[in-house]
Amino acid sequence: MKNIKENTISRRNFVKSVALVGAVSGASFSGFSILNAMTPEERKKFVYEIQKPEHAIYSACLQCHNACTIKGKTYKGVLGKIDGNPYGPQTMLPHIDYKSSSTSAAAVDGKVCPKGQAGIQTEYDPYRIKKVLKRKGKRGENKWETIDFNKAIDEIVNGGNLFGEGNVKGLKDVLVLRDAALSKKMADDAKKFGEGKLPLNSFKAKYRAHLNKLIDPDHPDLGPKNNKFVMMCGRIEHGRKELGKRFTHGAAGSSNFFEHTSICEQSHHIGYKEVTNQWVVKDGKGKWTGGKTHLKPDFLHSEFVIFFGTGAFEANFGKTSMAQKVTDSLIERNFKMAVVDPRMSQTAAKANWWVPVRPSTDAAFAWGMIRWIIENERFDMNHLGNSNYAAARAKKETTITDATLLVKIENGHPVAFLRPDEIGIGKKTDFVTMVKGKPVSVDLHGSRPVYGDLLTDTTIRGIRVKSAFQLIVDEAMSKPLVEWARICGINVNLIIELAREFTSHGKKAGVEFYRGPVQHTNGYYNAVSLIYLNMLIGNTDWLGGMQKGGGHWHEDGSHHGVFDVKKKNHPGKLTSFGPPVTREKSRYEKTSLFREQGYPAKRNWYPHSGNIYQEVLASGEDGYPYGIDFLFLHKGTPLLSMPGGNRAIEYVSNPKKLPLFIACDIIIGESSMYADYIFPDTTYMERWGTPHTTPDVAHKASKVRQPIVPSLTDMVTINGEKMPINLEAVYIAIADRLGLSGFGENAFDNGLALKRPEDWYLKLVANIAVESGGVPEASDKEIEIFTRARSHFPKEYFSLRRYLQALGGDEKLLKKVIYVLNRGGRFEDYASAFAAAPYNKGQLKGFLKFFVEHVAQSKNAMTGKNYSGIGIYEPIRQMDGKKTGFEKLEGNELRMSTFKEVFGGQSRTIGNYWTQLSLNPENVLYINARDAQRFDVKEGEWVTIKSSSNPKGQIDLNNGHIVQVKARARLIQGIRPGTVTMSWHFGHWAYGSSDVEIDGTIIPGDERRKDSACPNPVLAIDNSLKNMCLTDPIGGSSSYFDTKVTISKI
Amino acid sequence: MDTPKKNSRREFLTKFSVAALAGATLSPLFSKEQDTESDAVEVRNFTESIESLLGGDYTNIKLKMQDDVRRALKKPVDQRRWGMAIDLRKCVGCNACTVACISENALPPGVVYRPVIKEEIGTYPNVSKRNLPKPCMHCEEPPCTEVCPVGATYKRKDGIVVVDYETCIGCRYCMTACPYEHRMFDFGEKYGDGLPFPAKYDERPSFEYEKEWKRDKPEESPIGNVRKCTFCLHRLEEGLLPQCLTTCIAGANYFGDLNDPDSVIAKIVSRLNVTVLKKEMGTKPKVYYII
Repeated sequence: MKNIKENTISRRNFVKSVALVGAVSGASFSGFSILNAMTPEERKKFVYEIQKPEHAIYSACLQCHNACTIKGKTYKGVLGKIDGNPYGPQTMLPHIDYKSSSTSAAAVDGKVCPKGQAGIQTEYDPYRIKKVLKRKGKRGENKWETIDFNKAIDEIVNGGNLFGEGNVKGLKDVLVLRDAALSKKMADDAKKFGEGKLPLNSFKAKYRAHLNKLIDPDHPDLGPKNNKFVMMCGRIEHGRKELGKRFTHGAAGSSNFFEHTSICEQSHHIGYKEVTNQWVVKDGKGKWTGGKTHLKPDFLHSEFVIFFGTGAFEANFGKTSMAQKVTDSLIERNFKMAVVDPRMSQTAAKANWWVPVRPSTDAAFAWGMIRWIIENERFDMNHLGNSNYAAARAKKETTITDATLLVKIENGHPVAFLRPDEIGIGKKTDFVTMVKGKPVSVDLHGSRPVYGDLLTDTTIRGIRVKSAFQLIVDEAMSKPLVEWARICGINVNLIIELAREFTSHGKKAGVEFYRGPVQHTNGYYNAVSLIYLNMLIGNTDWLGGMQKGGGHWHEDGSHHGVFDVKKKNHPGKLTSFGPPVTREKSRYEKTSLFREQGYPAKRNWYPHSGNIYQEVLASGEDGYPYGIDFLFLHKGTPLLSMPGGNRAIEYVSNPKKLPLFIACDIIIGESSMYADYIFPDTTYMERWGTPHTTPDVAHKASKVRQPIVPSLTDMVTINGEKMPINLEAVYIAIADRLGLSGFGENAFDNGLALKRPEDWYLKLVANIAVESGGVPEASDKEIEIFTRARSHFPKEYFSLRRYLQALGGDEKLLKKVIYVLNRGGRFEDYASAFAAAPYNKGQLKGFLKFFVEHVAQSKNAMTGKNYSGIGIYEPIRQMDGKKTGFEKLEGNELRMSTFKEVFGGQSRTIGNYWTQLSLNPENVLYINARDAQRFDVKEGEWVTIKSSSNPKGQIDLNNGHIVQVKARARLIQGIRPGTVTMSWHFGHWAYGSSDVEIDGTIIPGDERRKDSACPNPVLAIDNSLKNMCLTDPIGGSSSYFDTKVTISKI
Repeated sequence: MDTPKKNSRREFLTKFSVAALAGATLSPLFSKEQDTESDAVEVRNFTESIESLLGGDYTNIKLKMQDDVRRALKKPVDQRRWGMAIDLRKCVGCNACTVACISENALPPGVVYRPVIKEEIGTYPNVSKRNLPKPCMHCEEPPCTEVCPVGATYKRKDGIVVVDYETCIGCRYCMTACPYEHRMFDFGEKYGDGLPFPAKYDERPSFEYEKEWKRDKPEESPIGNVRKCTFCLHRLEEGLLPQCLTTCIAGANYFGDLNDPDSVIAKIVSRLNVTVLKKEMGTKPKVYYII
């Protein structure tokens, strides 16, 4: 038993507490349990200890990605209560001034959502692991033995016959390229080779002695064998992310570091990024770069917001900060809203309009609105007519669009912007517009204002051109309004009504979307189509319009910080090269594989997106473009949380296909149960981080996550430093064994070491503390409170001396760092963020484009066809471009949508009994009562859920267990008929739900965690790939809302 | 093709009251408050915003209410009248209050001081949802206290209805007497029951009534007692607002001293469109609902 977290309670106490269930209630009935010895005087002595400043540590939540600022209150060294941090703009509206003392802040509790409140049950989940586990049976058998941390590190580094199954290659044989200078040279030449600028023979001759370091000497552009080390992270955030990249790219020399965004809302980010990518000209060459991945409506000043597939009160990014802005505005101001979502959400319930759109057709709804707005000239002509910044300035606008700029048309498709040199009127890095029918060269940053014609459709010197706005007009007019309405299944009048409302508030309206419209194969196009609505009213940067958010002070030190860990401070850094195994951020056409194999490629390449989570294991299994030798899974459970993720069980169970698989997490999860080793991790209450803030927050904010309580994982000594076992310890230990750069002694430029987590994170905090003027130094009293609030930490965990050492011995810097830590970060004062009225203070000041040249010039590698340069409505397709026919429901088919309950996270809240068990003990299938009648299903009846990808509705765990995907039916009215929906916080097959054997002892699982299902295992697999869910080829999002399912009563 | 609803705010409110009369699950709880005094000199203006009735300063309302609490604490206890208003127009049904309360008061399974009753109303596509947070009403005329055979539950001088765990014999008469079905019995369960190891979140004492109640020591715990919302009395006495209010992500709660005409709560209760649950029972709840 010793290997599972005991929380210092003895076995005897446990037995006693079990006994309580039967015994105590009987005793209480008799009335004898109530005696109390306390006198009235003693009662007076009560002190509400938990609220005192010396028991508060300000940190950041991680029950969801919003990472709200929290106040952790400790009681006798234990985390006793979590509340909102009143300094933080996410958790108090308005938040208190940054200069407020720790004492006054202690008396004010901010807000946190139910998930945040229940974080204590994540911290003290009895199923947490505290020692390193090594598998004792086959993968997935759930038989483990505990193993010393350092021995485990030795084994994964050196390999050998680790499981009695034959020799296993250790990390030392994967990370074969360790020479920084060589890696740089090889990277440069491999790139040249990939682009066809360097012959293979020359490359081979030059690197004759090092060809064995490559994955494939005939394809050096695939990179070194180091790429077969894959770091796959789920919920990872800034601070830890940068450290992970430092390890993966700079120390291990691998291209493969991933986070989970494509199973979240990646295409939403990519849509915004592509539309807002700026045209940057350097040395006579222009490129698209620097786009902003996220804008949010300014709910505090807006008059009308349409939410597409999201809301302000449940999931999104994130409800704690957004909810009150919306409710206040609804009640106190003239704010209205509409929610486009097949499910009646809590936000829809408060909205003026609920639009139960047909899933995956959001773009059709948007195009219907666009058509009406254009036909009725309700767009902002004053804004769209500005061709460059000088024109915009004159019209008091901060942003410009390409509406008037000319785009070349080939074979009916827009392919590229027309450049002045092509028609002999200027430079190739500028643009062309028509002014009263005459072509004019446009320098976006030129001093002369240019007001171009909005509508152009002509031929100039034999080149067919249209203005970008003309492209939008043509697309909108390509279908009659009734046709757009038919596609999305919504009444024409409602489209008109919302289009009119949307264009009745000047700049004070906005379209907000998140996961709903984009987790489809057409996600990117949907995103861009929705962004067009915002562009038509030119609302970006205006109070009440779309805002970029307040931004942050840069923890990476890239903006005059003390320690620039972005560009500097990594002596001996390797240059990783070659495409990631997911082929993201890489162009197929620039590879040697393309030259050999051409179209169609075996799998798609993703030049526009990153973190294609669902591609990692599927590509590894296919060995395209190469296989995985060493998988390091951290804080994620792809097998549960990806659509059809269970398909990967067979792959990860097979050591022949995936030789070494380690995981680092707080618990044995659905995916880590297949690992060879699991290293325990610290929870977000025990560790560091510097998460960023949603642009919903108008205030500049840099949050700091720091330990509130000491780790419950075992302590370990690495190279003389005692620290808790966690992800950082694993990095530090591996780097120590292999002598990797960027960790250990002399890890930073100035000789400072990175030997424990604080050596990294305090530098990040220091950067936040000093940027742009810096924060005050903490007073002696504040330092005293700071120290007393940490008196429950063992000295190996917290010592001011060690903190000082991490900061290079700079005492003044330490005092500033303490000032920040005492407040959980650095935050702009409330009123300051609105000082630029009528504009937002944080401004995009950028170029928004209807025509995305960058995407128009890319091809789907499996079809060889170009993507569309403008947002369009596209039916659900496979990766190879073939239609799925999923738009139409036939016979007994229903469409499965998924959603998140306000209290649930993707995969980590099942142990939060205060929320999940209390509020909704089991998952249900929400079905319209009309549909239920059709299927003769009654309230509460169990149904199995099946799909063409999972015809049995089962998950084969490959360990003798089979899980049925089933749920009780919940009959409701608030869902579009034909669509059913389920949340996905249930249906665990690990995470404390199943029995595991550790050192010969069976640890029984808690059945409550197993009840009912998660819908993900029945979601559709792409038939052209066979081992991965349907995916957006451009944005990379995985499809959660397209699958057709059938249900049958059990 | 479906014709989704056009749900204007006015329609929502109408529907709300209609549903209340029509006898939906929650409806018997509601009754419309009426002006009873004929000497009212002003007509109540239900369109008034909270911001305007607070003199244009809405933004710092939480701190303002905390000041209200502290001001009230300076008065003798019998001159305070704690009351709460819950804005149903704003409640988003997130249950942050429910969970914050469980955590703050270390409540066991089956004991929930702040449930939120949720209901779907209407027929597709004219559907909406309604959320009703339901703490103890802290009645001016509490039916629950009268039935207690040992005087363990009573209304304090400041109006808060409490249970003296040291006197309560767990007979549960009060549970049946409460018209709001608020009171719950502590059977001694723990959230971690059935887990292979004890859970530390079950160990923290409850600080109710300004005392440390430890569940592992039956003589110092409320196990076997009837339990109920205390308006976070232990926090009020420290000048802090109740947890359900501090953690509300929608800003839907107001709290303070009803006897203080300058307090936020007094202004809201006197000038906004508020109602109470089951007014006809004559219990005079001090939890008001803004509708």
